[in-house]
Amino acid sequence: MKRRQTSKILTLLVITGLLSSCDKDSGSTFTVENPVNYEFLRNGSSTVSFDGQTTRISMATELTAAMTDFDSNLESLLEMYANQSASGDDVNPFAQASLNESTKSVKSKVAASADFFSTNTVEAAKIKADIESWITAQVNEVYPNRNELASEGKAGQIADGTSARYVNAKGLEYNQAVAKSLIGALMVDQICNNYLSTAVLDENQNQQENTDGITGEGNYTTMEHKWDEAYGYLFGKSTDTGNPLATLGDDEFLNKYLSRVNDDSDFNGIAEEIFEAFKLGRAAIVAGDYDLRDQQAEILKQKISEVIAIRAVFYLQCGSRALEADDLGGAFHDLSEGFGFVYSLRFTRKSDSNDSYFSRAEVDGFIDRLTAGNGFWDLDANILNEISEQIAEKFEFTVAQAAN
Amino acid sequence: MKQIFLLCTLSLGLCFLQSSCTDLPSSNEIFTDNFDRKAMLIDWADLIIIPSFDKYYEALLTLDEQEEEFKLNNSETNFNNLKGAYLDAYISWQKVSMFDIGKAEEIGLRNFTNIYPTNVEAIENNITEKSYNLALPSNFVAQGFPALDYLLYGIGSTENEIRTKLAEQNYQIYLTELVDRLLSLTDQVRNDWKHRYRDVFVNSDGSSATDSVDKMVNDFLYYYEKFLRAGKIGIPAGIFSGNTMANSSEAPYSKIHSKQLFLAGLQATKDFFSGTGINQDYIGESIASYLQNRMEETEGPDLAQEILNQWNIVEGLTADLSNTFVDQINTDNTKMLAIYDELQKATIIMKVDMMQALNIQVDYVDADGD
Repeated sequence: MKRRQTSKILTLLVITGLLSSCDKDSGSTFTVENPVNYEFLRNGSSTVSFDGQTTRISMATELTAAMTDFDSNLESLLEMYANQSASGDDVNPFAQASLNESTKSVKSKVAASADFFSTNTVEAAKIKADIESWITAQVNEVYPNRNELASEGKAGQIADGTSARYVNAKGLEYNQAVAKSLIGALMVDQICNNYLSTAVLDENQNQQENTDGITGEGNYTTMEHKWDEAYGYLFGKSTDTGNPLATLGDDEFLNKYLSRVNDDSDFNGIAEEIFEAFKLGRAAIVAGDYDLRDQQAEILKQKISEVIAIRAVFYLQCGSRALEADDLGGAFHDLSEGFGFVYSLRFTRKSDSNDSYFSRAEVDGFIDRLTAGNGFWDLDANILNEISEQIAEKFEFTVAQAAN
Repeated sequence: MKQIFLLCTLSLGLCFLQSSCTDLPSSNEIFTDNFDRKAMLIDWADLIIIPSFDKYYEALLTLDEQEEEFKLNNSETNFNNLKGAYLDAYISWQKVSMFDIGKAEEIGLRNFTNIYPTNVEAIENNITEKSYNLALPSNFVAQGFPALDYLLYGIGSTENEIRTKLAEQNYQIYLTELVDRLLSLTDQVRNDWKHRYRDVFVNSDGSSATDSVDKMVNDFLYYYEKFLRAGKIGIPAGIFSGNTMANSSEAPYSKIHSKQLFLAGLQATKDFFSGTGINQDYIGESIASYLQNRMEETEGPDLAQEILNQWNIVEGLTADLSNTFVDQINTDNTKMLAIYDELQKATIIMKVDMMQALNIQVDYVDADGD
C-alpha cells in the first residue's frame, strides 16, 4: 500500500513538473491530464480500442488448452494457430463463434514486430515454424503415448504431485512450450518491438495528425490506437480494462505472469509501474507530448522485459530444486514453463536501443543446453543455475530474488 | 529480501549471544541443540509408523477377505460386511497418509490411495474398456478409496441396485483389482519399513535438509496443510475457488463418512505431533517434546501447547457439524469455514514459529497452480 501511494505521488510530481516546464523546441507548455483509470474520451466517447488484441489472446487460450485435449487433431490445432486451412481457406476451429468470424490469427502476429522482424523474416519464419513444430509434435509424439508412462527417451505421462503431465521423449510439455513462448513471440514482441516503437507510433503523418486531433474510422487518432494495441496485449482480457490491476491474472499469458512477479515481495509494485507508464504515455499522446510518451515507452520495455527474465529464472530455479529433490515430474513441469520463458527472452527489449537483451545465438545456446541428449531426464542442476545467472546478470535483479 | 532479513536476524542473534554468554561453545556448535533426535526417530518408527502400517495392512486384508466373500455371494450381509471393512481400512489409511517417506514416497502410495474427487468417467471407461494401466498418473483419480466409495455407494440409486450391479463381472473384476492394488502397494511399503528402511530412517539423525527429522517434519506439515486442512475442509468449502464444491469432499458417495474420516486424520495429526503410540498407551519423543526442549533453552513461547490448543478448538467445533460434509456445505457452509480458520491458525504457527524453533527449512513451495 505504501508503495502504491509513493508511486502516485511521484507521478503527480512528474505531472506538476511538466505543467510548469516548457518544451525545448517549440517553447509550448503541455497540459497532460493523467486520469486515474485507463480511460480517454473525445467528444464524450471513449477513444480506447484493442479488440484485435483481446481476440488473439482468446485464440491463443483455446489453442493451448486444445493441445492437451486428446480429442483434438493436428488439422484443428494448426487451424487454431493460423485461423485458416493449410491451403489458406477460411476455417472455424474455435469454440467461441466470434473467434471463427474474425480474420485475425495468432500466427500472423508471431515474431512480426516492425523493429525486430521487418527486415529479419528469416528468423521470423523460423520462430513461426518452431511453434508450429511443437504443436505438430504434440499430436505425433505425445498423443499416441498418452496412456504410457514416460521414461528416458520415451514420451508419455509423468506424475507431478497428483497431476498427470504429458511430456515428449526429453521430458518437455509441448503445450507449455507453446503457451510460454507465445508470451514472448506474440505479446511481448508486439508490445515492446512494435506498438511502443517510434517507427510504428510516428509512422507516416501520425505525429501531425495526432497533434491536430485527426481521427480515422474510429474515434481515435492512429497514434492513440497503436498505443492502445500495446496495452491490449497485456490488459485486453481484464475484467475492467480501465482498471485492470483490480483483477490481475485475467488471462493465461503475460497478464498472469505479471501478476505472479508482482506477488513476489522483491518485485511488488511492478504491475502498478507498468500500468502507470501505459496510462501516462497515453495521456502524453493526448497532450501531444511525445518526449513524455517515449519516456513511458522506455519504462515499459524495461519492466516488461524484466517480467520475462524474472519468470525464466524462477522456473529454472524451481526446476533445479525439484531435480535435487528427485521430483522429476515437478521438475519437468517447471522446466517446460521455463523453456517457454527462455524462448521468450529473444523478444525482450532494451529500453535505450533497438536490441533485445538476448541474441538469437544466446537463446539458442540456452535451449540447446536444456534439451541436449535426453533433455530434462539428464539435466544437471548446475546447468540450470548457470543459465539463471547468465539471464539475471543482464538485469538488476539477482537469481535469489527471482527464485522465490 | 528474505535472506537478507534472515542474515540480519542471525547476526543480531550472534552479537547478542557473544556479548551475553561467557562460556560460549566453539562457533560451529552454536546451532546444535541437545535434543535426542535419534530417540525421537526410533519412537516415531517403532511406536507410530510401523504399527500404523501394520494395522492398515490388516484392515486391507480384512477388506480383501470381505471382497472375496462378496464375490462368492452378494448377499445383503456380505455387502454390508464389505462396506464395513472398506470404512475400517479407509480410517486406518488416515493414520499413515502423512508418512510419505521412503518406499511410500518412491512408489507414490498416497497418489494411488486417496486422490479425490474421483473421476467417474475414467472409472466407467476403465470398466468398459477393460484395458487400462492403473500405474498411470492419469488413473490416480480412478482407483483407491475414492473409487471404492463410488463403486460401493454411487453406481446405483438404491442399495439393492448397487449390490446387484457390483456383482456383475465387469464391476467385480475392477473392485478386485482396486483392493488388490491397495494391498500390494501397502505390503511393499510395510515390508520395506520392517526389513530395510527403519534403520536407514533412524540412523539418518542429523539436522540437514536430507536427514530424517527435517524430511519427516516437512512431510507432516505438508500433509497437514494440503491433505487435512485443504483437502478435507478448505477445497470443498470453497476457500480456494470462491464457490463451494461439496462433491470434492472426501467420500461424497457414501456421504456419511466424511466427518469420521476427517476426525481420524486430525487424531493422526495430534498423535504424531505429541508422540502418542498407536494404542494411546505410550507417549514417546515427538515434535511436541522437541518444541518443549527448545522452549526451555530459549525461553520462548509454548508453541506445542498453542498448536494443540488450536486442534482442540477444531475438535470442539466439529461437534456441531453434520456427519455428512456434503450436507453441511450445502446447508451451512459457515461452520466449515470456521473450522478452516482454526486449522489455518495452526498452519501459521507451525509453518513459521515451529519450523524456526526447530531450525528446519520448509522444503516445499506452493505450486503456482498451472
